[in-house]
Amino acid sequence: MNAGARPARAIGAIGRMRPRARRRESGLLIVVALVLVAGSISLGATQRELAGQKVSLLPADVGQLSIYLAALLLAHLALILAGRRSDQVLLPTIGLLGGISLLLMERLPQALVTQSLVGRTFGLASIQLGWLLLALGVVTVSAIAVRSDAWLRRYKYTWAAAGIGLLLLTFLFGNEVNGALLTIQIGPFSGQPTELIKVILVIFLAGYLSEFRPLLVDASMRLGPLRLPPLPYLLPMLAMWAIALGIVVVQRDLGAALLFFAVFLALVYIATARTSYVVIGLLLFVAGSVLAYHLFGTVRDRVDIWINPFVDASGKGYQVVQSLYAFARGGIIGTGLGAGLPLVAGHLPIPAIHTDFPLAALGEELGLIGVVAILGLYLVVIERGLRVAISAADEFRSLLAAGLTLVVGVQAFIIAAGNLKLIPLTGVTLPFISYGGSSLLANGVVIGLLLALSDRGVEPPPAPRPDSRRRARFLGAARGSAR
Amino acid sequence: MDPYVVAIWIVRIAFLGGLYLFMFGVTRLLLRDLRSAARDPGGALARLVVVGSDVSEPPRGTAFGLDAVATIGRDVNNSIVVEDEFASAEHAVLTFRGRAWYVEDLGSTNGTFVNGAAIDRLCVIAYGDELQVGRVRFRFERVRR
Repeated sequence: MNAGARPARAIGAIGRMRPRARRRESGLLIVVALVLVAGSISLGATQRELAGQKVSLLPADVGQLSIYLAALLLAHLALILAGRRSDQVLLPTIGLLGGISLLLMERLPQALVTQSLVGRTFGLASIQLGWLLLALGVVTVSAIAVRSDAWLRRYKYTWAAAGIGLLLLTFLFGNEVNGALLTIQIGPFSGQPTELIKVILVIFLAGYLSEFRPLLVDASMRLGPLRLPPLPYLLPMLAMWAIALGIVVVQRDLGAALLFFAVFLALVYIATARTSYVVIGLLLFVAGSVLAYHLFGTVRDRVDIWINPFVDASGKGYQVVQSLYAFARGGIIGTGLGAGLPLVAGHLPIPAIHTDFPLAALGEELGLIGVVAILGLYLVVIERGLRVAISAADEFRSLLAAGLTLVVGVQAFIIAAGNLKLIPLTGVTLPFISYGGSSLLANGVVIGLLLALSDRGVEPPPAPRPDSRRRARFLGAARGSAR
Repeated sequence: MDPYVVAIWIVRIAFLGGLYLFMFGVTRLLLRDLRSAARDPGGALARLVVVGSDVSEPPRGTAFGLDAVATIGRDVNNSIVVEDEFASAEHAVLTFRGRAWYVEDLGSTNGTFVNGAAIDRLCVIAYGDELQVGRVRFRFERVRR
């Protein structure tokens, strides 16, 4: 169990690889394959029936499904060959979510998104399949190649600078999507930097909090019933709040701001176990929200729509109202894949269905039962991630695993709750299901890192750096002289 | 009723059922995992692993499970006995106080070091930190469940 002083191994030590069976993962992947085949048959049969074609029980798109299943199998085999003792539930779970995404994209009109590449035009499902394969590749490579985390923990301020740089790039060169500055265009591809920034944010916070945790825990300032840490250590919280507010003001991207601030607060709480930080953070959040509501039209619109979307059901509240209708039409067992979402005047009732409202589509076609199962899959990801966090060797890895898990979990919650009118709608993607390359790749990095962190045979964390010396002495001296 | 429609509905239900079959399989694994963690013997809250030692006792690689209060020193009544003439009889004590672990130097002659720095009485210690008593270096670790 004790990894002790095993020497650092080079990444490419293929000669010394010892394959290790992953029976649980194999078993779960077989179930995933069966489920996806059933889903594809259900979709194909429904589509043929609606189109009045010859009846047959064949999958909707045999080619795409088999490519996807083969990629899952390859990822599984790569993990077996590398002999990692990492978590065996995460890969099948995200594999199932990705497969559901593929079925949904095959089901939606292919003309929603088209991309011309080397003289051929690809539709929605083909592009999504390409991104899914890339994401699975990212998961596998980072799960196998990441053996040491020194490059993550050493350069935390570099990571922070990179994150802020990306944010500024979006501020300056971002393209507007639905009134929010979201994407950056590079050649034929456009990406959402916020998806990458969320991973960078977690890396920075894990490094920062694990280093300054002793000081943050040691609250010494009193403010009424609250015990606060010394003022300098409160500044990051204010800075984070300012950045989140900045995103709202400049980018009009409420989802990202909410996600960043929620993950930040949760991580601070995990690191310090102090409710006072959460209370301060929530107070700041409420203050910021009220401010934003009174100052910005977009925020006010979102909140008004949330309170009563039927006031302007064919205008501003249109998407939310249609989403609610979709859930209602789905009922308990749904209409079946491919049988829902009637076209309104030749268009889908919800324009952003493939990015912001996939849960509404699934809610209509799979019903309450299906939506509960999908939310359950996110809970499984969260459970596994927090489990990795709880058994991590040191503070940094623990916070990193918890933060990565929360990024996925909180994001899924924000958009699912937005679709269901539980909270105001904010445009973030549903991890692993929404259409979109940046989202899939960023979440692939998250799962890959979680798999790497869960590996029981991984290198022990590097010894703490001697520069934390000063603070140990400072703290000790402060405590000592107080007596 | 059209047999084709019936067949489609059977496949639809099979798909939904399959989702729950997957959830069932995962939940069984998670429960087994949690149970085995709960069965894990020893209620140690954290552990100290010897990563460097110039003395015979404790040798390098030894792991000590820690209770909420664990004393370190040369005296045999300590939780962790360090047979080193550079260690005091009652050298240092590790305590878990609700939120964090603290290490306290009990007025030893040669001092207690956290990450290479001498501590002055009480100091917060985090998982992954290095603790030195006499000529023995420990790494303070979380218990892996």
